[in-house]
Amino acid sequence: MEKPNYNTDIVRSFINWGIIWGLVSIMVGVIVSLQMVEPALNFPPYLTFGRLRPLHTNAGIYGWAVGTTFALFLYMVQRLCKTRLWSDKLARFQLWFFNATIITAAITLLLGYTTSKEYHELEWPVDIMVVILWVAFAINIIMTIIKRREEQMYISLWYMMASIVGVAILYIVDGAEVPVSLFKSYSAYAGTNDANVHWWFGHNAVAMVLTAPPLAMFYYVLPKSTGVPIYSHRMSIIAFWSLIFMYLWTGAHHLLWTPVPDWIQTLAMAFSVMLIAPSWGSVFNGYLSMRGQWHQMRENYLVKFLIIGITFYGLQTLQGPMQAIRSFSAFIHYTDWVPAHIHMGTMGWVSMIAFASIYYLVPRVYGRELYSVPLANLHFWLILIGQLIWTISLWIAGVLQAGMWTATNSDGSLAYSFMETMVEMYPYWWARVFGGIIFLFGVIVFIYNLVMTTRRGEVSPASERTAVEGRA
Amino acid sequence: MWERKPVLLLVLATAAIMVGTIVTMILPFAWVNTDADRIATVTPYNPLEQEGRDIYIREGCNNCHTQTIRPLVTEVLRYGDYSKSGEFVYDRPFLWGSKRTGPDLARIGGKYPDAWHYKHMESPRAMVPRSNMPDYGWLKNNLLDPQNIRHKMDVLGFPYEQAEIDALKGKNEMDAIVAYLQKLGTGIPWRKTAETLVVGELHNPYQDDLTVLDAGKALYMQHCAACHGEKLQGEIGPELTDLDMPDADLYQILFNGFPEDGMPPFSAIGSDRLWKMVNFLKNEAKH
Amino acid sequence: MDWASILYLGVTFGLFIIFVLIVRYTYSRKNREQNEEAKYRMLDDD
Repeated sequence: MEKPNYNTDIVRSFINWGIIWGLVSIMVGVIVSLQMVEPALNFPPYLTFGRLRPLHTNAGIYGWAVGTTFALFLYMVQRLCKTRLWSDKLARFQLWFFNATIITAAITLLLGYTTSKEYHELEWPVDIMVVILWVAFAINIIMTIIKRREEQMYISLWYMMASIVGVAILYIVDGAEVPVSLFKSYSAYAGTNDANVHWWFGHNAVAMVLTAPPLAMFYYVLPKSTGVPIYSHRMSIIAFWSLIFMYLWTGAHHLLWTPVPDWIQTLAMAFSVMLIAPSWGSVFNGYLSMRGQWHQMRENYLVKFLIIGITFYGLQTLQGPMQAIRSFSAFIHYTDWVPAHIHMGTMGWVSMIAFASIYYLVPRVYGRELYSVPLANLHFWLILIGQLIWTISLWIAGVLQAGMWTATNSDGSLAYSFMETMVEMYPYWWARVFGGIIFLFGVIVFIYNLVMTTRRGEVSPASERTAVEGRA
Repeated sequence: MWERKPVLLLVLATAAIMVGTIVTMILPFAWVNTDADRIATVTPYNPLEQEGRDIYIREGCNNCHTQTIRPLVTEVLRYGDYSKSGEFVYDRPFLWGSKRTGPDLARIGGKYPDAWHYKHMESPRAMVPRSNMPDYGWLKNNLLDPQNIRHKMDVLGFPYEQAEIDALKGKNEMDAIVAYLQKLGTGIPWRKTAETLVVGELHNPYQDDLTVLDAGKALYMQHCAACHGEKLQGEIGPELTDLDMPDADLYQILFNGFPEDGMPPFSAIGSDRLWKMVNFLKNEAKH
Repeated sequence: MDWASILYLGVTFGLFIIFVLIVRYTYSRKNREQNEEAKYRMLDDD
């Protein structure tokens, strides 16, 4: 079969823009972490913690995670289907509209146009933009799969398809709202119903944006980097069905001990614990694929990123179910433990896999070898250490504050006022600033390495051919 | 079967996703916010309060403050009666939050007088030393738009009087957010039912004990000085230089407060600390 | 036992059976080649 003429141009663009929005998210993250320790750094009305924190999360999720997902999916779908993208024009529109959406999102959030719903703060006109963007993306991916020239569908394609329908359903149902004016709306649901719908969305956004796509990337990039196939395709199939089935039941573990009916909470608890199985199915599949290849951890920087990334996925999916248990949640919920949990996932798992995938793609879409492997190694250690400082200090902070909140005197009164517990957080919050800056520095090294690759990287004849042919 | 049929795979994946969705997200609509969990005393927000709520949302207060109290001992002690589903039926959207960088606000309504909130919003650290909350004094510079608020009330279908809309003229965003905070958690008479009675004869365990004065002063600075002044000169609350009453009576005042007049009860901090404060206050009053 | 409980148990059991069938189907000797081939094919290009 002759080599298909792949569209690599669009992949390049999405890599670039995904990284730009990732950098924005991380920089805003460092700024809000500083605002936590120094309130004078709030500059009202636009630059206060309350408005910047949603910008940090939205740029991270919709800019960085979704941006790199677009890049990787558009690349993988062509390779796995051995055919060019269904529509170059639609992909070009998707790129243009993606940036328009993220820019609109950033501006409206700073202007205070927000629905208040975590990870779904965007007001209704921006919501509609997100939906249009996703539909454009979905059509292109699905049509490419349908007209594929490779009969087999590799597991990455399965996760891509699940992510595409999952995000669509979640985003539209949770986004139901009644407009009041151009940038103000009221939720279609009220109170406890609204909470239940929203955390059904909130937790499954984690499933469909921050779990399924990185898994699709992991299953693709790991065998491609090591040169040996994954341990078991059948195991990945069982894990796939179990994962997408079980995830949807677990949203209410964000609402333990709230007025949401007890039976929903109990179901969420049970399914959260059961989710360990499919999550670790993927982790084991990754580890077992390394049999006889562990030496590559030393020799191949890509493998290091991927295996440490999947390890944090494994830790994340053990810690998550633990937090989803009522007794533990009673202690730890609402403290800094929770952001630490999220950041192990985003900095240790999602970003680690995204960085590896981009390192894998860049030589293939630019036709140049990576500028510097030592710099990639430096990048690895900086983001690993930065993340560990960030998360470990806030786990300690969370346990400390939870302990103080629940401490009582012998006469049954509370041992500490709220402020007495809050001021104890300052040293740990400073540690977080420090960890975040190290992580940011790692990302700057990454960007420098990529820029130098496109300018000075050694031209690799084989990949250059595809890169040049791929120009639209 | 589905391994080579993308459309079938999409359909089956959607079905797998929908099972849990139907059970845990769609079915609950049959139980939640029905007559069974309505509470008669819970009323919709009035125009000023609703506008305050929208400002609370705009400023992202929910990023640091939760609005739901769990049925756990120390949580009820700290914040008040646990939250009931029926208290939130007019909340669109819900604002329960997920992180307590600041304290929970589900029952902040009526805890402090309005003056406390104005001063605190303007300068949080003037009231709560070492707080990391941003200043919100600038809200005072923004006047409300009565017509826009009326439109919002119509969309929500909440009842209002023309007089309430007229009264919005000249009011600013600070007035609105304070009105909103003062409404929170007051839909049920939980303060009445949670009142603790002091029974039996009260005896000051630190009678004439001057060694606890420093501890009492520290407690005063932490809990009282923001309203009564660092030198007991009074500000939001009255001056405290003339406290000619038995120790037991002063203890009762600290224990129960005057919730109607804006003085919160301090029963939750415990009798030991209350007696130390009594000693400090009586000793200061003597000089 | 009331009808609701029987219904819940039935649904749970039904879902479990579906799971068992998926596992059996996926791991059946007959389908081994079909379900493992993709992991080799994906290494082919480049």
